[in-house]
Amino acid sequence: MGRNRRPSKQMLILLEALAAHTQQWRHGYDLMKETGLLSGTLYPLLIRMTDQGLVEAEWREPEHPGRPARHAYRLTNAGVAFARTATSAGPMTFTKAAFA
Amino acid sequence: MTVAVSRALLALASRSLGSDRRTWAMAMEAEFEAAVEDRRPFLFALGCLFAAWREIGKHSEGRLIVATYALALGVLIPMAAMQFRQAVGFLSSVDGPPFGNPSASDGPNLYLIWSQNSAIPVLLITWLLLGMAHLFLAWMLVEGDWPRIVKCGTLIGAAMITLSLFMGVLMLDLSSLRAQVAELAIEFVAVVSISRWHARVLADASRDLLAR
Repeated sequence: MGRNRRPSKQMLILLEALAAHTQQWRHGYDLMKETGLLSGTLYPLLIRMTDQGLVEAEWREPEHPGRPARHAYRLTNAGVAFARTATSAGPMTFTKAAFA
Repeated sequence: MTVAVSRALLALASRSLGSDRRTWAMAMEAEFEAAVEDRRPFLFALGCLFAAWREIGKHSEGRLIVATYALALGVLIPMAAMQFRQAVGFLSSVDGPPFGNPSASDGPNLYLIWSQNSAIPVLLITWLLLGMAHLFLAWMLVEGDWPRIVKCGTLIGAAMITLSLFMGVLMLDLSSLRAQVAELAIEFVAVVSISRWHARVLADASRDLLAR
């Protein structure tokens, strides 16, 4: 039996931002600026969504030489499907089937 | 100044995340330069620390860190304080009546009183050594330096045996020591449990690393 999940308002904002350009890799700080979420909210969300297989992460080469490589994120196929359902329906109850 | 404090907060966040979440710690560190450019490094680092502390109870290494700090701050440091208090109490009792049990007929045993007074410095040093060893043990436990923890535990055991023997031979009141022996036993069980837990976490981490 699936466990009911209700995406938080912050998660919906993040899903919306990531779903706007599904193929584009996004950096953490850029996501913070775009969504208005603070790092203390954004990173736990990204960690949880990556663990759930909704978001994939990859190290990307720096844009400027001498800078460290940056972690970038985008939605997986499951994440895109989940985002479509979640953002169209708003905060509501979801089951595990939505993750499949 | 703000950047330096922020870097320190970020380092603390990184350490709190543990090896399970090492990639996330590196991801936060990589974004720090962007936060500095945006002139908001402190808010970013503080948020990262908050995020790390939210994660700390969710992974085995985090729970071990919390348990270790709880043992150090909740048991070992109060034990050290108690040893220092005992030492101070012992010193103040020197000014009081003689320790020797007066014999029923002959009055105070002068030889015993002389022996007890001569042993005061040694006993005092041993009490203080016990207190210092507890503080050191707490520090080493937080650092996770197990070879030194074993040495420190041996030192505490040896000091406790020395105190018991000396106080027994000198016919001093052993009631305070009895309570301490019971507390030391609890402390010993707690440290052994933490060491087993640590070994298990280390074994799991090594297995995960080999599996990757």
